[in-house]
Amino acid sequence: MTSRRRLFRNRHGRARWLALITWLYVMWSLLPVLVAVRISLNSGKSRSTFQAPSFRWYWGDPTSSVWHDDSLHSALWNTLRLAGLCMVIATPLGVAMAIGLQRWRGRLSRGANTLMLVPIVTPEIVFGVALFIVFTQVYTGLPGGLTTQLLGHVTFTMSFVVVIIRGRLTAIGSQFEEAARDLGASRFQALRLVLLPMLGPAIFASLMVVFATSVDDFVISSFLSTGASTETVPIKIYSGARAGSTPALNALATVMLLVTLLAVVFASLVMRRMRAHGDTSASLSGITV
Amino acid sequence: MSSTGAVQIDPTGGRPPRTTAWAGFALPGVGWLIAFFVVPVYAVMAVAFGSVDPILRTPQPAWNPLAWDFSAMRSLLDRVFGGDLGKVFVRTFAFVFLALAGCIAIGYPVAYFVARKAARSRGMLLALLVLPFWISYLMRMLAWTNLLQQDGYVNQVLQWLQVMDAPRNWLDGDWPTVVIGLVYGYVPFFILPLYAALERIDGRLIEAGRDLGASAFRTFVHITLPLSVPGLLAASVITILPMFGDYYTNSYLTSGSPRTEMVGNQIEFFLRGSSQPQTGASLVLVLMVFLFALMVYYLRTTMKAQRESER
Amino acid sequence: MRTSRRQFLARSAQLGVLLGAGIPLLNACGSDDAASGSQRTEPIADGLEPEKGPLRIINYADYVNPDVVADFENKYGVKVEISTIDTDTEAVAKLASGALKVDVHHSMSSTSIGNLIQGGLIQPLNGTYFTNRGNVLAAFDDPWYDPGAVYSVPYTFFGTGIGYRADRIDPAEVEAQGWDTVWNATAFKGQVSILDDEREAFTMAMLRAGVTDINTLDQAIIDQALADVIELIDLVNVKVNIEGYKDIPEGTTTIAHTWSADLIAGAASYLPEGTSTDVLGFWHPPSEQYVVNNDSMGVLANAENPVLAHLYIDYLLDNAVAEKNFSWVGYLPALAKLDADFVIGAGYVPENLRSCVPTNDDIGNGLKFKALGPEGDAQYEAAWSKFTAGG
Repeated sequence: MTSRRRLFRNRHGRARWLALITWLYVMWSLLPVLVAVRISLNSGKSRSTFQAPSFRWYWGDPTSSVWHDDSLHSALWNTLRLAGLCMVIATPLGVAMAIGLQRWRGRLSRGANTLMLVPIVTPEIVFGVALFIVFTQVYTGLPGGLTTQLLGHVTFTMSFVVVIIRGRLTAIGSQFEEAARDLGASRFQALRLVLLPMLGPAIFASLMVVFATSVDDFVISSFLSTGASTETVPIKIYSGARAGSTPALNALATVMLLVTLLAVVFASLVMRRMRAHGDTSASLSGITV
Repeated sequence: MSSTGAVQIDPTGGRPPRTTAWAGFALPGVGWLIAFFVVPVYAVMAVAFGSVDPILRTPQPAWNPLAWDFSAMRSLLDRVFGGDLGKVFVRTFAFVFLALAGCIAIGYPVAYFVARKAARSRGMLLALLVLPFWISYLMRMLAWTNLLQQDGYVNQVLQWLQVMDAPRNWLDGDWPTVVIGLVYGYVPFFILPLYAALERIDGRLIEAGRDLGASAFRTFVHITLPLSVPGLLAASVITILPMFGDYYTNSYLTSGSPRTEMVGNQIEFFLRGSSQPQTGASLVLVLMVFLFALMVYYLRTTMKAQRESER
Repeated sequence: MRTSRRQFLARSAQLGVLLGAGIPLLNACGSDDAASGSQRTEPIADGLEPEKGPLRIINYADYVNPDVVADFENKYGVKVEISTIDTDTEAVAKLASGALKVDVHHSMSSTSIGNLIQGGLIQPLNGTYFTNRGNVLAAFDDPWYDPGAVYSVPYTFFGTGIGYRADRIDPAEVEAQGWDTVWNATAFKGQVSILDDEREAFTMAMLRAGVTDINTLDQAIIDQALADVIELIDLVNVKVNIEGYKDIPEGTTTIAHTWSADLIAGAASYLPEGTSTDVLGFWHPPSEQYVVNNDSMGVLANAENPVLAHLYIDYLLDNAVAEKNFSWVGYLPALAKLDADFVIGAGYVPENLRSCVPTNDDIGNGLKFKALGPEGDAQYEAAWSKFTAGG
């Protein structure tokens, strides 16, 4: 055997190349974000190179920092408000729909299931256009901005909740509820006292996915925004390419990143506490089908 | 999952009772989707086949299908098939498939490694792979444009590595920047479903191949790769469907170059910057028709998987 | 399986018909505040008290000095809310549909005022609330878009020309080549931009070809202009945006088809530290071929605070306030006092950018964009869509 063939024959050897590619990918994927965070700590206006570190763009600068610039922290507030409300509305709707779809037999149910899946495969621009048209032509009484953006976000994220919960429902199976009913519980008691707690981790996962999706949404928020007071962080970052942009944008994005990461860490701690059964692939397959 | 002490034979075979009371659970969601998804899509059709107020240039949707006016759609289709808009569609398809190729080239090895090889560091790698989901897409693009500035780090590193002599203007509207941007943005969405599919491949089939004397490479080509094709297709479809409607990646990275214009940009122009919203709405419908086959494919495989897992 | 699919489709079709019938019902439930569609002819009454606010304004981004707005808030004890829009078309669409309810339109473009008037979206102004009307340049007393200046008051005015880096290309060369500067800029490939506006871009090509009727509907001329602009894609890797005001000072663009005020704003706010304003230059064609345009202010027909709206407009016509606004925005207010000598003398505009201040001759003799009507707009938009599609 030549040494080259040994490299390929050797399981360890082949994995070495793949490992290298993987770690290179991880670095390529995450390093730019770290650089962007570092740039947010620049003392000057440069958005491309490192300068002396300072918190100028977070709270130091009296006009342009995230703390002082009205438009920037109103964008932050809008984004968080929108995501929070979206979580609270989309998750219950989605959980109920998942439970209902799984147990509802018949052709209408299959139709409803298809209807639920279509938003996942629809490009966002179609959503944005359709919602923009419907809110200006049909549902014209609704206040623009937050309300319409919220309605759009919930529509967009509900399907993700349903898919996650359904995956988990399939993995759980029906025997626990059946056992509870055998022991005398009514259907709804079984649901409330047995199934819902078991769905806990999946519900939490859905909350996080809805939060992250809503925070990240650009197209729908942009089409439905009515001006500076209803802009979200992604819109601000996008239009920052136009207005004289400073590292304050990086600071804004970093703050958003920190909030999201904190939420994820919190959620995973809660989920670890809650999770009694289950392995990665079951919940993962629930997310990715 | 252990059962409780009492053993009872379940005549329904373990499935939940057939009762349409459960339908009530699903109705709020269904109602919501009808109100905020079905009706809006219908509204797009009504605008596409409607007219425009001549003074204020606002769309006047035609709600009754019998009153639909197809002239805007017809002139749009003329432009798409054999006109200038055809070029935009071709370019969009080209960008998307180039980006998909990039995603596969990068994502398949990574997904394969994490799914089948990385026993010790899998948890950590998974966390790192999931991390981009929690980082805003536009922040990742922002980060990327920071690096691509004339005096940014990409140019500095490339020059230090002596791959280039002079700083190159990456943001001047060339297609490689856009394609790389699309790959960078969408590859996390490609890797995770692929990982899930690769992880589910039964390891015993691969072992069997090795036991029968095939080399690692042949086992991969003849066993693993074919088994991963459904997962690869699903991951590809779920990645390229949103990419087709993307308009912000290229305009963010090139500040307005006609050479990288995609269908999404044209839709945005007609709907927000022109007096012909019906053309914009028609273009949305044309895009959806183009994507219809992909959407149906994904829906069918998903529903089949759902039914199989619930049986 | 087959039956279920057919039934599903049949049921969806039924649903579709029901929806089709049901939508008009939904429509009827919508708000009636949107424009009724006929011209308003009655201004508000005289001598009314100002309302409590908040005063709602619609404007482009960064188009009014926030300090000026804050001063107004303090003066009248009211809050001011500004909604920003990106394009004029977007503004009209949102106002017409009722998605936006505002009191003051801060920057109506001269080509759409006619539509706003005809569509009944803006109301005639009551001059008794204005004390500073006399400050306005006489040229705007009877503008073509609003005879008698009944519905509008000019806000800013500006011309379209070529902004460039005087340290990279000789001003004399730009003078000599005129519009050809853009087409000859192959040495600056990738650093050339034109305005993201179909009228402006094609007008530039028309003027270069010697056509002075910039409102023509002659398809042959439009096609030729389109062909000329398309050349730029391969010649100079042209970019299409309205960011000249920061790209030229920052150096990422060397030659930009842009507005006169962009250079003023750029000189004031976007030059990197240590760079002198001498690096900036602006060229425009002689008066007879100079496109001079202006934005105007008006009061919406369904304004909830019309008196406050009038007072706000009057406030911006005050010379001192306009000067303060100009120092931040860079776009010249249409006031007689703020002419070239004044603004240069006061240091707002460097001497080498004198050409950025349109003179009275420019306003009088210059070319104006007129409204084109739906077919005309469609022609230009179709051409623009062809250009942005990559030629």
